[in-house]
Amino acid sequence: MQQTSETPHRLRARTFTCMGTVISLTVPTDAHKAPQAAADELEAATAVVERLFTDLDSIFSLYRPDSEASRLVRDELALPEASAEMRARYEEAAEWRLLTEGAFTAERPDGALDLSGIVKGHAIREAGMSLLALGMANWCLNAGGDVLVSGSPNPGTDVPWRAGIVDPADRRTLLAGFPLGGAALGSPPQSLSPSGPAPLGEMTADGGTRAALATSGSAERGDHIWSVTAGAAEFRQVSVAAADVVMADVLATAIVAGGVPMLNRATAMWDIEALAVRANGELLATGGFRR
Amino acid sequence: MRIRAAVSAALASAGILLVGWQSGVHGADTRSAIAAAATGNQASGTGTTGSSGAASSESAASSATTGGSGTTGNSGATGASGAAGAAAKAGGTYDGDVVQTRFGTVQVQITVKAGQVTDVTALKLTDAEGRSVQISNYAAPVLRDEVLQAQSADVQTVGGATVTSDAYLTSLQAALDAANL
Repeated sequence: MQQTSETPHRLRARTFTCMGTVISLTVPTDAHKAPQAAADELEAATAVVERLFTDLDSIFSLYRPDSEASRLVRDELALPEASAEMRARYEEAAEWRLLTEGAFTAERPDGALDLSGIVKGHAIREAGMSLLALGMANWCLNAGGDVLVSGSPNPGTDVPWRAGIVDPADRRTLLAGFPLGGAALGSPPQSLSPSGPAPLGEMTADGGTRAALATSGSAERGDHIWSVTAGAAEFRQVSVAAADVVMADVLATAIVAGGVPMLNRATAMWDIEALAVRANGELLATGGFRR
Repeated sequence: MRIRAAVSAALASAGILLVGWQSGVHGADTRSAIAAAATGNQASGTGTTGSSGAASSESAASSATTGGSGTTGNSGATGASGAAGAAAKAGGTYDGDVVQTRFGTVQVQITVKAGQVTDVTALKLTDAEGRSVQISNYAAPVLRDEVLQAQSADVQTVGGATVTSDAYLTSLQAALDAANL
């Protein structure tokens, strides 16, 4: 663990509700700013993020009868006439479906289009870019258990954000931890395409290469996970850490749906760390999640 | 003479690529280049190359330069075909030297049949502490106390399967947010 000589920065958080869950934005207080200015900055940033989530939800929510997604499902609208945003997410989801050999899909068993599996990750990704555009370098964005961070909770240091992963058997306790941090958002987003195995040197939990952590479960809100294999899901919960939050989210979902074969495929094809909890509570972990 | 130089360069290249590929290392160090050259010499006793072998060696020779300087590219197929051409008559198995890399000790063995590398085996693959290492980032079974530990008092955010807004209220994240409000 890294020694921090300076006093730890006090964190401030703001939350709002959207997409059926709670989104939290946490930032360290800036010692060089007046307390009121810092609070105003967080308020303004939260408003930007909330607006972004709300706008996407109004397009993609299947809980809103008036949303574009609902009109698509009711066949009142055809995909070619849909908005550019809708078509872009459909294209992204279709690409992931190919790359995961169907383990991730935006099609419900009844054939209806449901992009909610990719929209939350996309919203987090867009919010992250907005925060950087606002000039905020250090923040942690948590949307219903999926996390994207930038910088450090101690500005000016490379101390990672420390994330805990809940134990699916007891939500009051943590199963594991993972250091998140780095300038992943500063560099161009990773290509979707498999890039081959990463060098071994990057496979350590150095907290500098993974900015995103996403977790999918078969127990709760399994509304966008449909098991590829018949029968009960092999994994109760799967967490994936990656540089990109959509990649982490999609692969976590795909692994829950596709079981061990998809887990092995994902760890071989993409530069990720994974922690999977079997139905009986046993764990499978890549090197970055091990002590 | 030129062909001979090209062939040994190709062999060195193939050796480096094999060692590099086997250990998953991009950027083999100088010692692995030396060791790979030694592996190559073992096979070069056969000494005969057809014109096709020389042709492929030409391109392999350029990649050998790259390999020697410490980066291995994706030209593995080219290098390997050059090596296979030279070792065509030899057949059998060839052991590489034991090489120290920054990831641990690596030694590989190749099996050659009818001029083709038919198998590559890791004879020795250990980390600095002598434990065997995984080449890929395969997710292996672990015990609970083997994963990175975290206490709720020691984390700044909590990840988990998507929780509903109702469940959030009793979640650890809610407690953290409340503390930071």
